[in-house]
Amino acid sequence: MSTFELNTTISNLRSLRESDLRAYDAVYLGNIYCRIFEDNFLERLADLRTGIAQVKEQGLRAYVTSYAAPRNDSLAKVQKALETAVEAGADAIEVHNLGVLRMVHEQFPNMPVHVGGFANVYTDAGAAVLKEYGARRFTPNYEIGLDEVKAITDHAGIPAEILVHGKMPLGVSDYCFLLEYEKQWPEKCPVICQKQLFLKQGDWAMRSVGKGVLSGRDVCMLEHLPALFAAGRNVFRIEAAYESPLYRHEIGMIYRAALERAAAGDGAVDESTWKTIHQHTHVGLCNGFYFGRTGSDYVGSREESLAAQ
Amino acid sequence: MSHAHHAVRVDPQVPPAILLAPAGSLDGAAQAFQAGADAVYVGLKGWSRGGARGELDREDLRQCTELAQARGKEIHLAVNIIPKPHERELLLDKLAEMAAWGLHAVILNDLGLVRKVSQRLPQLAITASIGCGALNVSDVLLYQDLGASAVVLPGYLEPQEISALKARASIRVELMIHMVDEFIQLGKCWMPSYLNFAATERVVPTQRLSGSVKRGGVGSCFRICQQPWSVMKDGEEADRRMLPSRQISRIGELAAFLDAGVDVIKIQGRSLPAEMASAIVSRYRVAMDDWKAGRESGGCKADWSYTALPRMWTVQGR
Repeated sequence: MSTFELNTTISNLRSLRESDLRAYDAVYLGNIYCRIFEDNFLERLADLRTGIAQVKEQGLRAYVTSYAAPRNDSLAKVQKALETAVEAGADAIEVHNLGVLRMVHEQFPNMPVHVGGFANVYTDAGAAVLKEYGARRFTPNYEIGLDEVKAITDHAGIPAEILVHGKMPLGVSDYCFLLEYEKQWPEKCPVICQKQLFLKQGDWAMRSVGKGVLSGRDVCMLEHLPALFAAGRNVFRIEAAYESPLYRHEIGMIYRAALERAAAGDGAVDESTWKTIHQHTHVGLCNGFYFGRTGSDYVGSREESLAAQ
Repeated sequence: MSHAHHAVRVDPQVPPAILLAPAGSLDGAAQAFQAGADAVYVGLKGWSRGGARGELDREDLRQCTELAQARGKEIHLAVNIIPKPHERELLLDKLAEMAAWGLHAVILNDLGLVRKVSQRLPQLAITASIGCGALNVSDVLLYQDLGASAVVLPGYLEPQEISALKARASIRVELMIHMVDEFIQLGKCWMPSYLNFAATERVVPTQRLSGSVKRGGVGSCFRICQQPWSVMKDGEEADRRMLPSRQISRIGELAAFLDAGVDVIKIQGRSLPAEMASAIVSRYRVAMDDWKAGRESGGCKADWSYTALPRMWTVQGR
């Protein structure tokens, strides 16, 4: 059995069917930003049931995520998605919204909860409260460094999931400004947010997904995996909610191989993999906030060749 | 919507809604009370987001509390940053001292801190800040579970959402009815530190965690959403724009919100000049008193529209 978990995110059944998931141990199903994202698992409950079954048939764990910022009018649908997840045998629910956390805890106390990045876990005190509500793991707020993550896991006694590759969430909105472009552009909702849309200002770039903003650069921790293991981290995510099945597969295979080597004590990076990573990267690479620096910075040996593309 | 000719709202079982005003100084608090605020919220130097313009030092805060007590009013203290873990005890000690002065409530931004304060200082009312990101009834119930006595909700919610959660929650609901609604939700934005974390850290090395406004990074929101961005589609510039944001000033719907059960009408703006804040407070005072008396409100007239606002109190003017 693997000593680590590598997981990813898939928003709908089409993308699940098109994805080769050999690299992964688990999959989060659903799109956390928007109820009208194309065939969002969280709205199409028959698809969710099918998706959970398909993931489990492949021997993987099926997790169901939930909305980052639901208002009252979404809670009935959230409730149905939670019921479906439980009935279909999901292995965990991911919650970003504390109200949804409370719903899961009250109604499905045996269902493991993974706390997502929008739940704003910044300190051990926050993690301790979430643990009381059934949290079995948490994604720290993306803004904190690896030393702070370690302080939380050490004090709160709850494991952390770490985004190792992909576009890092930077914010969530109640309003989709891409809808303003429906009259001007050929692309319409619910496809428009799946275009490669970037907000740029000089060297700065962010990826817009309508109701969410992601990092423009892809977080890449490939050459830092031994350090992550050394810090006690063993749950890793490739964030691919808005990426292609090819991205999910190829990046996943790179990390699967590198993680297995790193777990065995070999921290060397296969140089041939950088070309593939580069092909899937529009704006360059960064490390997020893991090293206590500006989130779009890249620390590592690839700095000159890839970070400033 | 017309609010004329309804019955006088006096229910002895229900505490009347209060008007909670911002103040960035002792003088600002005095002016806000003079303008009709029932309560004033202020920041504590080094422990609240918003920067030096909107924070009071310890002595000013003590005098502020005295001023409020002399008038039978309330001071709420914004401690809406997340302290570093090793400085949490220091903060709890400070809050214990301030609670003894007669501070009414502390406004907190982190669920872990809510739990700590409710355990350590049960005599102090706790408000879950708008930065906690509560939006729905279940969010409110969670903060109620944790010991909060009030929760702040953003002004873009609708009256029916308020009435739905008031039907289930027993803690006070504060509505930030007059606020800037940024594109990204308050407490859920770390765009600035993604783009420039180092600069924010240099501003004030202090107790608070460095980084975004959520964490309490002073000056860390350098309003990147209010600068022009190129929207790049397929590698080409398809548009150049600012991210959407707007001023919310829903005084025209005040009666509907009060009917829905809002307990606290809250106005944003600790960094506003006292004269401007008190002018806004006066307008809301008139509207609330009119509602209470069952009158059509002179305070709700349409001249308090976005275009009629002083420029500084608009998104672009700040």
